[in-house]
Amino acid sequence: MSAESTELPRRRRRGNATFWLGLILVGGIVLAGIVSFFWTPYALSDMAGGRLEAPSAAHWAGTDRLGRDLFTQLMIGARIALIVGCGAVAIGAVIGVATGILAAFATRFLDDALAAFFDILIAFPTLLIAMLVVAAREEASLGTAILALGIGLSPIVGRITRILTKQVLGQDYITAARVSGTSWGAIVYWHILPNIVPFLGVNLALQFGLAVMAEASLSYLGLGAPPPNASWGRMLQEAQGTVYTAPWGAVLPGLALFALVIGINLLADGLRDRFDPARRDG
Amino acid sequence: MLSRTDMILGAPLARGRAALATLTAVSVLALSSAAAMAQDYDPQAVVNIGSLYEPQNLDNTQGAGQGINEAFNGNVYEGLFVLTDDGDVEPKLVDSYEISDDGLTYTFTLKDGVTFHSGETMTSADVKSSIERVTAENSASSRKKTLAVIDSIETPDDKTVVVTLSAPSISLPYNLSYVWIVNDDAGDISASEDGTGPYTLQEWRRGSALAMVPFEDYWGEEPTNGGVMFQYFTDATAQNNALLTGAVDIITSVQSPDALSMFTDNPDFTVSEGASTTKELMAYNDRVAPFDNAQVRAALSRAVDKEKLLQAIWGDYGTLIGSFVPPTDPWYVDLTDVNAYDPESAKEMLAEAGYPDGFSFTLDTPDYDPHPVVAQFLQNELAKIDVDVKINIITANEWYTKIYKAHDFDATLQEHVNHRDIVFYGNPDFYWGYDNPEVTRLISESESAHSMEEQTEMLTEANKIIAEDAASMWLYLYPQIVVSTSNVSGYPLNGLNSQFFAYDIQKAD
Repeated sequence: MSAESTELPRRRRRGNATFWLGLILVGGIVLAGIVSFFWTPYALSDMAGGRLEAPSAAHWAGTDRLGRDLFTQLMIGARIALIVGCGAVAIGAVIGVATGILAAFATRFLDDALAAFFDILIAFPTLLIAMLVVAAREEASLGTAILALGIGLSPIVGRITRILTKQVLGQDYITAARVSGTSWGAIVYWHILPNIVPFLGVNLALQFGLAVMAEASLSYLGLGAPPPNASWGRMLQEAQGTVYTAPWGAVLPGLALFALVIGINLLADGLRDRFDPARRDG
Repeated sequence: MLSRTDMILGAPLARGRAALATLTAVSVLALSSAAAMAQDYDPQAVVNIGSLYEPQNLDNTQGAGQGINEAFNGNVYEGLFVLTDDGDVEPKLVDSYEISDDGLTYTFTLKDGVTFHSGETMTSADVKSSIERVTAENSASSRKKTLAVIDSIETPDDKTVVVTLSAPSISLPYNLSYVWIVNDDAGDISASEDGTGPYTLQEWRRGSALAMVPFEDYWGEEPTNGGVMFQYFTDATAQNNALLTGAVDIITSVQSPDALSMFTDNPDFTVSEGASTTKELMAYNDRVAPFDNAQVRAALSRAVDKEKLLQAIWGDYGTLIGSFVPPTDPWYVDLTDVNAYDPESAKEMLAEAGYPDGFSFTLDTPDYDPHPVVAQFLQNELAKIDVDVKINIITANEWYTKIYKAHDFDATLQEHVNHRDIVFYGNPDFYWGYDNPEVTRLISESESAHSMEEQTEMLTEANKIIAEDAASMWLYLYPQIVVSTSNVSGYPLNGLNSQFFAYDIQKAD
């Protein structure tokens, strides 16, 4: 018994530390993204410096081949990563939750059909689905990338929603609510959503990390937002040829991407520890 | 990259003074590699060549890309004539030829004892069918048009081919240097080959490599190596790493100056700079407004600081050009002062042309280096005269179908690799749709010129007109840099028309 009682607080502290580290990493990037709307060291397209200058007081992260400030591009890249992450997760959540709940409520046949549909979509990598959506559009844009990633994420969300909803639907209090005359709409609103949101929230945070990575990959492949939007993925792509002579051009956007994705994952872990009653009780 | 492929038109063999100067520089380099050649080499050694241009298929009339010329011209297939690395056109499978006084009839006598890789002997019927392959209805070769002047081909006997032209064509031997002589029984050659060259195809591993071994019954001198393997990379950094680690012996063209620093001060490698014909340009669709207006095009040219762009992309390498003609073409004149960088006058000209508030256009940008960076530079420069550039990133395939075939674009970026390709501006149906009757006349009449001087004079005149007209925006001339390990020598330096003759390459132990 005594071993258990000392175990519990330590575990909690560790959970807290992850949460705070995640919050700092993500918070820093969110802050940079917000500040970029009001202020950046230089204008994005300002070719103010020399070719491939090393980081200095004038250019905190150095310059690219055209002499543009890399720190400015990193800040704007943060903005784009966050917009894409939030947008894609929002679209994925709306489509995924709606179809997931529908599947859980549906008749056997429709449920099986939807479940199979999710499985088929999940079998394709999110990036591939996103590439198909982008390719179907005439011109690549930030909006297309967000839409494409949102659609790519939706089957994952849908599948989880379906399972979580089914679990809730099997509970006795649902039967009780039905017997007492509550409508299905009210049941979804009062019983199902509150029960699935904590789990879903953690999962959506993880999807956010996926979306950010996928956007970087799309941009790296030239399918993301067109220039001059400074996506981290595109910065990586452009720095690739000069990685020996100017390594910072590739290392810094890579680090930023790493920090955001790791930060989100830590944050999601911390959140899960807080929400998950089983874990909270040890 | 299909674009860089077959776009070859041309004209004969005169050579200006500028070209001579370049050649001297090249021969100095060649001498230094000759010194290295003095040491023993291993005639069995396989030479590994790194390249970024994998062919899409193995048939140069089916849109295979410039990679097929690099790998196969002179190595697997030969033509009646050959364009040497020095830019001369010399007989290859032709023993001798005669031109009638009116310049309309060419009588070619073929070399004896030339056999195809399948074992059959080359005859005049093979030559006839090979030329007809290029001019056929379904041929995707853009050389088709230059050979359209051929009226009929007759084969009085196995060794004689008589070509009758509808108009004199001073460039016929040059144009025939691109026509592969293929066995007329070969059928579909998009995945196999049957040529007369010193190498036969051993294996084509799609996506990675093309291996060739010496052909035992070759009619000429046997190669000085035991075979070559073209290894294909999609990324220049990976290609450079392969050279550094010894996975390849030569890379056919270096794509960025930043990679060079790894090789220039290293005794294990040889860096050579040859004469380039690769031009980076922004091609407007001259058919559509506002680019149908020469004043608008000239204004845009003046708004872009090309020297700064060249410095950004190539550091201290490369050359500025004022038109489409590189210094190695006989009709080169220095036109860099025409519509030179002058943003003040650019703004005024744009206002005069009826666009005081600028305008907006979409720049279709191929997704590979350096085009996206160049596009952003142009976007910045043109924003200063209120011209708004929307960058649309496309793949090489889309470029071929949307722009080269369908002419559905405002403006695009592209590199054109060929020698003597000013003639594209004389073709109003070419993708950029430049249509100036005077230029069309000069270019078509230059073909009927009686002497090279006359031809050079007419094309120089055409060159000056396209520069004044700002037919396209010519940004810079790439440097042509070949890097090899220091135990390899005898490779071509200029890579004219992207050819890469491998048979003289020697590899020491």
